[in-house]
Amino acid sequence: MTETALVTDRGTDHALSVPRATVRHGTVTLVDVADLRIAPGRPLTIVGESGSGKSVLAHALMGTLPPELVAEGSMAIGPARFDLADRSGRRHLWGRELALLPQEPGLSLDPTMRVRAQVAEGARGWRPRDRAALRLADERLDHVGLAGSGAAYPHTLSGGMAQRVAYAAATIGGARILVVDEPSKGLDPASLDRLADLLAGHVADGGLLLTITHDLRLARRLGGEVLVMRDASVVEGGPADRVLTAPRHAYTERLVAAEPSRWRHAWTSPPTADRTAEPLVSARGISKSYGDHVLFRDLSLDIRAGERWAFTGPSGAGKTTLGNAVVGLASLDAGSVARHPATRGGRVQKLYQDPTSSFPRRVPLEGPLRDVLRRHGAGEDRLRSLLAHVGLPPEILRRRPGQVSGGELQRIAVVRAMLARPVLVFADEATSRLDLATQETTMDLLMTEVTGTGCALLLVTHDPALAAAVTEHRIELGQA
Amino acid sequence: MSLRIRALGGVLARRGAQSVGVAVLVSVLCFLVVRRLPGDAAYRIAAGRYGYDLVDEKAADAVRAELGLDRPAWQQLGGWLGDLFRLDLGRSLVTSRPVVEEVGYYLLGTLQLAAVALAFATVLGGAAGVLAARRPGGPVDRLATAWVAGVRAVPPFLLGLVLVIVLSAQLGLLPAVGHDSASGIVLPALTLGIGLSGLVARVTRDAVVEVRQSDYVRFAHTKGLAERWVLLRHVVRNAAVVLVPYLGVQAVILVEGVVVVESLFAWQGLGHALVHAVFWRDVPVLQAAALALALLIVTLNTLVDVAGLWLDPRPRRQEARA
Repeated sequence: MTETALVTDRGTDHALSVPRATVRHGTVTLVDVADLRIAPGRPLTIVGESGSGKSVLAHALMGTLPPELVAEGSMAIGPARFDLADRSGRRHLWGRELALLPQEPGLSLDPTMRVRAQVAEGARGWRPRDRAALRLADERLDHVGLAGSGAAYPHTLSGGMAQRVAYAAATIGGARILVVDEPSKGLDPASLDRLADLLAGHVADGGLLLTITHDLRLARRLGGEVLVMRDASVVEGGPADRVLTAPRHAYTERLVAAEPSRWRHAWTSPPTADRTAEPLVSARGISKSYGDHVLFRDLSLDIRAGERWAFTGPSGAGKTTLGNAVVGLASLDAGSVARHPATRGGRVQKLYQDPTSSFPRRVPLEGPLRDVLRRHGAGEDRLRSLLAHVGLPPEILRRRPGQVSGGELQRIAVVRAMLARPVLVFADEATSRLDLATQETTMDLLMTEVTGTGCALLLVTHDPALAAAVTEHRIELGQA
Repeated sequence: MSLRIRALGGVLARRGAQSVGVAVLVSVLCFLVVRRLPGDAAYRIAAGRYGYDLVDEKAADAVRAELGLDRPAWQQLGGWLGDLFRLDLGRSLVTSRPVVEEVGYYLLGTLQLAAVALAFATVLGGAAGVLAARRPGGPVDRLATAWVAGVRAVPPFLLGLVLVIVLSAQLGLLPAVGHDSASGIVLPALTLGIGLSGLVARVTRDAVVEVRQSDYVRFAHTKGLAERWVLLRHVVRNAAVVLVPYLGVQAVILVEGVVVVESLFAWQGLGHALVHAVFWRDVPVLQAAALALALLIVTLNTLVDVAGLWLDPRPRRQEARA
């Protein structure tokens, strides 16, 4: 009995607590929360849509806020107190006591350096060409299921693998407190499961875990405590199973209802497509492989006006390649794709996964949109009405892609695609980087436009629930 | 690893084939250009050998007969290409020394000058760029911007003269002209290097600012890596991916365009040799010098490609994958 008491005691001692934390940008308050507490063995997950301030809070605790944001408040790790306004005061904790698993693991790895060296440099007492650290790095990579990948460069890894490399690099220094920032962006369900296992392992080893996510499935898997943030403050908190199944706050209810399996929209029932009409795209016996890796073989399909198709499967299964092949953006090893004359002249439009890289970075958004207007002879009023449909003011077009949120930008991408009056829209993971609420808004706008114009939809996604909510024809790839 | 070796082999094979093509093309062009120059080539060559006052019709005829300048043009061209194929560049029409020796001497001079100038530019510009990138918009950054505008605005001959007046004539630190002592290279190299350092500083600054804002540099910090290791391991290398191809372009400009500075400091380089060869109609030297310049540029591009492969393992052309 005494031993248990002792352990509990130590646990309390080493908890992380935040009596009060605020972050401001000029006069705008981005975060204002009080009384956070993370205890060993009881992970804390903060959910909410983009812009709710949850990532900013994580960075305020790490001490990695950009210089224009001002933090106030304090936090305590065990007996040690830290002032949140002091940026450099926590630097000595980084990697040793306090670690961050960053957003976008693919971008967080140096593209010019082998993976092993990038993991090793996080080890305690690391020196260049440190053999002990390199051995430890190999052990850590082995632990995350990437034995033998140490000599690989980041560009050869999938998103899920890069995520696990970043996990190994963040935790090799033995930090007990792990802050995980939006780990689910663009990950397929299998990769997300593996990551959740790693995070659960960290908690089981006595670590403290703070996860920031908009993915409610991940929040459910991690368990522990859940806080729901909206507009800089916490609206609801409690045990994960209670908050995510029987929410008390109206906002949490809306968040839970934004999961694709619960969608109810005018367009959710499939339209009656004319099965006798000539297909827009007709693929016969198409095959494609990369080296020995067969993506698909001898596949045939017909897409007609008004139909909604989904290609699903895990990352690397070839669903994007199949989509590209169908719309004519990728070459095939065998087979043929016939496209109806109605698809010519830019009447097939593609929405990309990452909207920021599908707009020119240093040009106001107006430029690329006006180009489309000119090319397709659409009028200014059409642009205005489409913008109004997606709920954006026309002034937003004066900004550059980096100055609007990901959700807004993807909605502008929808506007750009619809300006061309397409007969087929190819949405390639177009909402997989957006939070649930934004995903629902974006999908609703896209589907309303698509249904209203009788246009066909081709959806590529790793999310079976999204595919089920939106489409009636599905092809699943990567089934071994 | 094997992928990288294959990529390296590809670069070398491509550049090797390119150099053969360049060699033939440059030789033919040179030959044609020299044929179109006004005046009697035999007369000019004789003048180069014996001096203007001692040349008469007889001497010119002797030169013409000796060098076969009366043969049809295609025979002369064929003879030269055949010799080139056997790697025999012939002898100077003026000095009768083997062209390989003559051009080799000048080539070495040019390479020395270019290498030292590039080193000056990289050290000066690189340091200024890294310092400016610490605080974009700060005083050092603004000073660096002024430096860029300043050194770009001053033409090399003026900068060279200023350096001669200050360092050589006033302070007596360095010799103003010549090729004899090791210190003779400092002034011409400094003139070229300062001129280039401005743009190097600008490119370095932009590359470093961009790399420092990258996710992998931020992650390196939160891994617990000390600032200087972040700089050495991540920032420098990734900034070099941008900077090295730029330095390659600058090296090409240095090799091609140093005639003014070589003349100013009486530096015995290829530019110098080229001007003299054109003047005296020394066709073999002219052709060999032009050839050496052309091949040098192919070599520099090859080096840039290889350095790029070493610095950045990512494939250059990528097919969209699922």
